[in-house]
Amino acid sequence: MILTQESIQEIKEKTAKYPRKKSGILPALTVAYRQLGYVDDEIYHEISKVIKVPYVEIAEAATFYTMFPKKSRGKYLIQVCHNISCALLGADSLISYLEDKLGIKKGETTADNLFTLISVECLGSCSTAPMMQINHDFHENLTREKVDGILETLRSEA
Amino acid sequence: MAEATKKDMPTETAENMVTLTINGRETTVPKGTTVLQAAKELGVHIPTFCWHPKLKPVGACRMCYVEVEKMPKLQVSCALEVMDGMVVHTDSDTVKQGRKAIIEFILLNHPLDCPTCDKGGECDLQNLTFAHGVDDSRFEFQKYRFVDEGMTTTFDDRRIGPEIILNRNRCILCYKCVRANKEAFGEYDLGVYERGSIAEINAAPGEQVDNPFSGNLVEICPVGALTNSDWRYKIRVWLTSTTPSICNYTSSGINTLFFKENHHNKIYRVTSRPSDDIDDGWLPDVTRYGYQIVNSPDRLTTPLVKKEGKQVEATWEEALEIIGKRFGEIKERLGGVCVGALVSPGLDNASLHAASRLMRVGFKSNNIDFRGDYRYLPESSESPFMRLCSRPFKIADIDDSDVIVTFGSDLIREHANEYLRIRKAFNFGNARIFAVNPYQTKSADVSSLELVYLPGTEESVVNGICLAAIEDNLVDAKRGEKFKLKTPTKSSAEAAKVSGVDRESLRTVAEALAEGKKITFFTGEIITRSRQRDLIASALINLHRLFGLKGRAQMSALARYANSKGAEKLGLLPNPRTVVVDKLRGLWGEYPESPARNTDAMMALIKKEEIKGFLILGSNPVMLYPDREFVKEGIEKLDFLVVADLFETETTELADVVLPLASWAEYEGYYVNLEGRTQKAARAVKPIGQAKPGYEIASLIGEALDPEMFQNEQQIHSEVRQLLELDSVIAYPDDFLEVKADTDGSQGDYNLPLYIIDDWHHSGHLTEKAPSLANFASEPYIEIPPQLASELKIAHGDSVRVESEVGKVILPARISEHTQNNVVLVPRNFSSSNVTSLLMRKKRVDRVKISKVDE
Ligand code: SF4
Ligand code: FES
Ligand code: FES
Repeated sequence: MILTQESIQEIKEKTAKYPRKKSGILPALTVAYRQLGYVDDEIYHEISKVIKVPYVEIAEAATFYTMFPKKSRGKYLIQVCHNISCALLGADSLISYLEDKLGIKKGETTADNLFTLISVECLGSCSTAPMMQINHDFHENLTREKVDGILETLRSEA
Repeated sequence: MAEATKKDMPTETAENMVTLTINGRETTVPKGTTVLQAAKELGVHIPTFCWHPKLKPVGACRMCYVEVEKMPKLQVSCALEVMDGMVVHTDSDTVKQGRKAIIEFILLNHPLDCPTCDKGGECDLQNLTFAHGVDDSRFEFQKYRFVDEGMTTTFDDRRIGPEIILNRNRCILCYKCVRANKEAFGEYDLGVYERGSIAEINAAPGEQVDNPFSGNLVEICPVGALTNSDWRYKIRVWLTSTTPSICNYTSSGINTLFFKENHHNKIYRVTSRPSDDIDDGWLPDVTRYGYQIVNSPDRLTTPLVKKEGKQVEATWEEALEIIGKRFGEIKERLGGVCVGALVSPGLDNASLHAASRLMRVGFKSNNIDFRGDYRYLPESSESPFMRLCSRPFKIADIDDSDVIVTFGSDLIREHANEYLRIRKAFNFGNARIFAVNPYQTKSADVSSLELVYLPGTEESVVNGICLAAIEDNLVDAKRGEKFKLKTPTKSSAEAAKVSGVDRESLRTVAEALAEGKKITFFTGEIITRSRQRDLIASALINLHRLFGLKGRAQMSALARYANSKGAEKLGLLPNPRTVVVDKLRGLWGEYPESPARNTDAMMALIKKEEIKGFLILGSNPVMLYPDREFVKEGIEKLDFLVVADLFETETTELADVVLPLASWAEYEGYYVNLEGRTQKAARAVKPIGQAKPGYEIASLIGEALDPEMFQNEQQIHSEVRQLLELDSVIAYPDDFLEVKADTDGSQGDYNLPLYIIDDWHHSGHLTEKAPSLANFASEPYIEIPPQLASELKIAHGDSVRVESEVGKVILPARISEHTQNNVVLVPRNFSSSNVTSLLMRKKRVDRVKISKVDE
């Protein structure tokens, strides 16, 4: 088992609240993600055994939500929205800017394991487009200058 | 595709009805009906992609747009329930525009590779684009492409199961495949991952799509995203024509359609021919791919006769001459009673009846049976078990039953169609469903409660249910007293102890049976094959009486093969019921008085050299009849053996004359399904080589024996019709029956119960010749519960020695997915396995010991 006893216990407690077992999938994935920083096939199998929901249903839910990174990522996961509103306000050039700045392509992780860059579908923050999410925080109304500042802060915190 | 019928709609009562207008026409339909269904009823066609008549609507594709007055936007009619006074337009300009936009949207990332796509000519997307789409797109960007390693960009063909090939680029994400798989079949080997434009259908990571219903996914895919190796790139659909038929491997009489090409005299595939009464349009894979045996290059195409110990090709004339002579000699020298026949319950009515006439009129012998793979057979046609068999049963009545009990049935492996029916009741109704078996089966996933009893304690389970009801005052006390007089078992607690089922569970079933308004209760092969099936049937008849189930339950022992029911009704048993005998005597003017022998008795007499001549039509007793050595030794002693089959088998090997038998696809035949419904399988192709249907073979043999014996086809059909008209239900006795629990003696070291089953993708002895089914499984194995496997340190794939008191085989191990308790399962469908050599003719439960073979 990759999941710790504490995680399993927490998953059991969380999922017990729901009348339908399937409703426990997202809480369970969240617990696993918090423990590991990622989820993957192995984890789906483990969760499937714990909450007794077919494995494929967990894989489906986990891959649907970009909030669950699928393998070990850098310390900061940069998710840039590339959907309609953000695209209209320059998401594409923002992504290229980030690629240049970090020296990686979309989907890659920097050599120092600090940043992973991906683009995602609408994160529900269209009114403040273009935007990106880094780990649990939204960064909105982005400009190149703002991006520079954010990256610098994160580097200094790391 | 199946049409929604009234049956699938909510029931009609006045206050339940809603009136609406569709395209200016008024219609009144039950509440809860969708606008799409209401339109269909009116004959108004609305195009759809993701809607399926047997699945819950999801509204994923939005192709079914309609305009509803006073509603601001276009509505998806497949998911919109009717409301009083609704005014619907299905063909307005707004609707047309909406459809155009949807097609344009669906085509955004579609590869438009129709010329190389196998779905061409029967693709919903192609057709609906042509009917409703535009020939232009505003999308000017690079289309999103799934590219598999080693593939060029347009082709993304990846095998996701033994039969299924997936092309993700063509997929329009209607989710029908995934929904059907989960909802209708309860299978979880296929899923949809990611989202937006990169969302994809795929096998569950690390798994294969190999469930026993997987072929349906290909049939319902509206585009060429899911195809199968069976049909793919073999022929274009417009070059084929269709013939209606029915399944020859199950007893449900599942309705099918052959796609064939006349010049090549070849069948190319089988699809469903949806019948709401029987199959809801779903086919088990064995039904879908089993047709391939018809085209097999291994088919017997000419008669073979044994000359100097070797079978050599011969003409029909030669073969018939020998048959006439040799059977004639035996008949003359020893009398017709020294001749016997075994016919397959997969044959049509005419063949069965012609065989019966051949034996009874031609040989004046009553040695005839159709049960070629059952060891224990009731002597009398009115035995408790035969009474249970004769009870009426309606498949469609499962749908609205409020209590469903399956007893002694590894459901999917023997009654896949009924499993799907029960699953539907489970999904849509609130039936209390019980699976009562000696080991856990997959049907537990559609059960409210699974009762697992110790192998061979069936009557104790039934008595336990009855006694629990009496003790807890769930049934009439007086009847309870009478019941107790006939049942030595003292209390439900005692029954619980013997059967290993806890009393609480017994009581739960009792409660359901006492309260149920519409009960479905049926038994399967584990009961039918039991040495004590009459005892178990007696217990069930008592239960029927005690709970007063008359009028509120259908309770029956289900037939197993395509025409078992027909064989029963036509009197293909050694001792048919009196009404049948009288009818036959009337038709033929004679009926043999000689003693009647069932399969088991015949096998014994063959070994004793009292039966000297034997005819086998389509059966393979050497492979399937328990105690292989016993049967083989006997059959080798016969003076003269004639076997007709589709292929050379373990049994034809021993024959003096082998005759090529036509398959059910090669002649028109009628079959009686487990409900007693007679259905026709039309002739799709000409018989291969010189093969002939069973009725013709029986007639020709009769003629060779005695020219007067000629049976013409009309005559056979008319006799069959008259026999089928006879009422076949045998009444239950007027009192409780004696039910004393029976146990097997100890079998010493051998204590692990063994059940012989059909593989998920096979049925009987022929299907291993179908390449697609062989792709799923072609080798025997032993299924071992995980707990036991780990105790014995057996891993998946290890060689396992399986020994019984009488035989020994070595089989690769499979770890069971569903069974936890201590039993092992071995499929009987593979001729290389020899599994019947483990079985004993006289035991109630077969027991073995197993051990890992050290390399
Ligand atoms: S594979 Fe076919 S059935 Fe499945 S979602 Fe795609 S188009 Fe629909
Ligand atoms: S489009 Fe970027 S947040 Fe909605
Ligand atoms: S058919 Fe109605 S949304 Fe697909």
